[in-house]
Amino acid sequence: MAVHRGRGIAAIEYPTGMNQNGDPSQAWIKVKPDGRIDVFSGTADIGNGAKTIQSQIVADTIGVPYEWVTFDNSNTDSSPVCTGTFASRATFVAGKAVLKAAREVQRKLLDVAAQEMEISPEDLEIEDGRVSVKGLPDEGMDVGEVAGAAVYGHGILVTGTGAQLNPYAAFTDPGTGEVDSPPHAAISYAGCVAEVEVDDVTGEVRVTKLTQSYDVGRAINPSLVEGQIQGGAIMGLGLGVLETSYPYYPSVEHRGSGFGSYYAPSPLDMPDLETIIIENPSEDGPYGAKGIGEMANNSQPAAIATAVYDAIGVWITELPITPEAVLKALDKKAAGEDQPRRDGKMVIFDEDLSVNTVGAGLQWTA
Amino acid sequence: MKAVGARLPRYDAMGHVTGTTQFVDDVRVPRMLWAKMLRSPHHHAAITRMDTSRAEAMPGVRAVITWEDVPLLTYGHLEALGIPADEPLLAKDEVRYKGQPIALVAAEDVDTAMAGVDAIDIEYSERPALFDVRKAFDSDSAQIHPWGNWYPHFEGEMDRRKIRKGDIDEAFEQADKIISGVYRPAAIEHVPVETQVCLAVPESDGRLTIYSCTQALYFTMGVIAAHLQVPLNKLKVVGGTVGGGFGGKVDTASDTVSALAAMKAGRPVKWRWTREEEFLASSTRAPWHMEIIDAVTDNGWILGRKMLTLHDSGAYARFSPYGVTKHSFHHTGAYTIPNLHFDGYVVFTNRVPTTAMRGFGVTSISFAVETHMSRVANELGMDPYEVRLLNANRINDTSPNRIRYTDPSTVDVLQSLAGAEGVQLEGAYAGMTRDPRSGDLLPDHLVGQLKTEGH
Repeated sequence: MAVHRGRGIAAIEYPTGMNQNGDPSQAWIKVKPDGRIDVFSGTADIGNGAKTIQSQIVADTIGVPYEWVTFDNSNTDSSPVCTGTFASRATFVAGKAVLKAAREVQRKLLDVAAQEMEISPEDLEIEDGRVSVKGLPDEGMDVGEVAGAAVYGHGILVTGTGAQLNPYAAFTDPGTGEVDSPPHAAISYAGCVAEVEVDDVTGEVRVTKLTQSYDVGRAINPSLVEGQIQGGAIMGLGLGVLETSYPYYPSVEHRGSGFGSYYAPSPLDMPDLETIIIENPSEDGPYGAKGIGEMANNSQPAAIATAVYDAIGVWITELPITPEAVLKALDKKAAGEDQPRRDGKMVIFDEDLSVNTVGAGLQWTA
Repeated sequence: MKAVGARLPRYDAMGHVTGTTQFVDDVRVPRMLWAKMLRSPHHHAAITRMDTSRAEAMPGVRAVITWEDVPLLTYGHLEALGIPADEPLLAKDEVRYKGQPIALVAAEDVDTAMAGVDAIDIEYSERPALFDVRKAFDSDSAQIHPWGNWYPHFEGEMDRRKIRKGDIDEAFEQADKIISGVYRPAAIEHVPVETQVCLAVPESDGRLTIYSCTQALYFTMGVIAAHLQVPLNKLKVVGGTVGGGFGGKVDTASDTVSALAAMKAGRPVKWRWTREEEFLASSTRAPWHMEIIDAVTDNGWILGRKMLTLHDSGAYARFSPYGVTKHSFHHTGAYTIPNLHFDGYVVFTNRVPTTAMRGFGVTSISFAVETHMSRVANELGMDPYEVRLLNANRINDTSPNRIRYTDPSTVDVLQSLAGAEGVQLEGAYAGMTRDPRSGDLLPDHLVGQLKTEGH
């Protein structure tokens, strides 16, 4: 009777953008007479921070303070096409659309400023809401003055549009899976070390620490990246040891119908979290960013399952690893029934779970 | 100050934490009706009789919507990608999962709407049901769809997604050990704090305003327009602020029926799912059944992988064929394995339809591949970092689709974790980079692959 400690590792990769691409995002931007910026994007913010990230990209690309940017994703009349907030695409794909729109706005503001200052636009730069002559920071005008001159002096509307579409990666041979171009916008990489405590009396698995490392390309907002990584880790913990829609499977009755009967992770399940951020810039993401929103819950279940093996010497490969599953596995171990079948160079785990054992219609072997 | 790279507070954080952000359910308009759905109480049944006249005649009931009211009853979310539709917006003569929508009642208040649902006369004839994908292929299995129990329309009308690369038989022949395992993550809920909700408002100019909790405004608008058979300028989808989605709000679950009810009643209609509906009738993350057989050498190389995946799609396809394709593209995980034989089926059961969820298609494979990798390391008596670093994908290695990796970071990630854990890697592994393979890290089985693919 004891609590056993274990540790397990997992390393993963995950694509940015819709699988096989072909998923457009578009944006447009207009400038108010005082230089304030209105961004119209169709990207829903589902808690992932799309409004913040896209506003940060626009602010730096034009060269104005973040506080000057208003972000409107509120409706399909004013916002152009965005395929949506899924597939880890909001920063990378939709972010590139606003980046392109912002570049066009900056170019037009510089054109107006150049005429006002009787200088070539190539000799100007914009930073922190001020247009200045390169190398002569005191020579220049505020972006607000430029925007006002555009409206009331030059009679033009300063806008920018941007669209991002990675071409659809078609199968060249569906029978082999070969495709004609990259089927992703980028790939992100991550890993996790899980530490667990397993009580061999109650069967309870407690995840005590998750140490995680993510290559995010570039952290456009480190706080939001950490939020994704840490929030995702808790979802991964839920997948690993707590959650199932069918707790009495193979019976599908008595499903959890509320927060009291469906076991999503609670504050009491929080492990210690250590987060390492690696920045290997993506080749063409906005400011080098990659998307990591979804992969944040992918590495923990395997790390936890491996840590449970490290702790008590049994492999549990049906999730979640509930107390009942742990106690059953320990019983099998005590009865000497936990070993893989060995046949020549074959090492066969989990034979009882295989389609070959449970079903009759699909025989599948090495 | 540069914004990119700064720890700026979230754009909408203050509104969210002070309760002042306007979500869909916060929108109230005059003359608004409330809706309730009649859902299937059976996992699998024929509808033998349905009569809504008693509900329609009830005081306070303003509209009852059934399959007969839907201009295009069956429309697939991914028809544009060649995935045919199989799911009616409202059940017509059969139901394939418990909780499947059948008829919506819009009334002056929630209680009247619920009473209207209860007043619908409906009779079912129950059918045998199937809940285990492993039994779907058996000759005595319950039959879910007329065409069978698995999706038959992968490109080339294949009944499974296949990956074939290299020479799998040769890999298994050359292997020192062949290690197999079975991996079965469960179905789970998305658990958004905001349940599915929609407010549909008929405007005086003949347009419809749809207040939606969708994760994808234009995608949802396209789905609604298809079912209603109207051009996009008849619709205005209002949203963009979502109370948690996690993939479950890519499905257009509440908007289209609410729009139909608003049109029929000529009044705004709000349909807000209860927490119980959210848990029991909304789509789940799929439970996956995965079998991996790896051909490995005693010194830690994975020469080949044979893999079978049975994806439990629940009663209808929704995004499942897309998910299985994505899954197949990533079934080597963060590693380079030159010889592959993958078969992935989209299998139908009488569970609620499964759908996209954070990590769609790959969360499952990450669990399977990485737990299997730990087993392989264990069987070979190798360090778990080292077996991973050895096989880690490197620049110029190729994916299961023959796409060259340009910026893989598996080596960096593993080295950083070793550093954090105080694990001392052997010299060769400590000095590894993601640069193209050479020397001992370019063994014959990978030389051959790089040559044949022309890199």
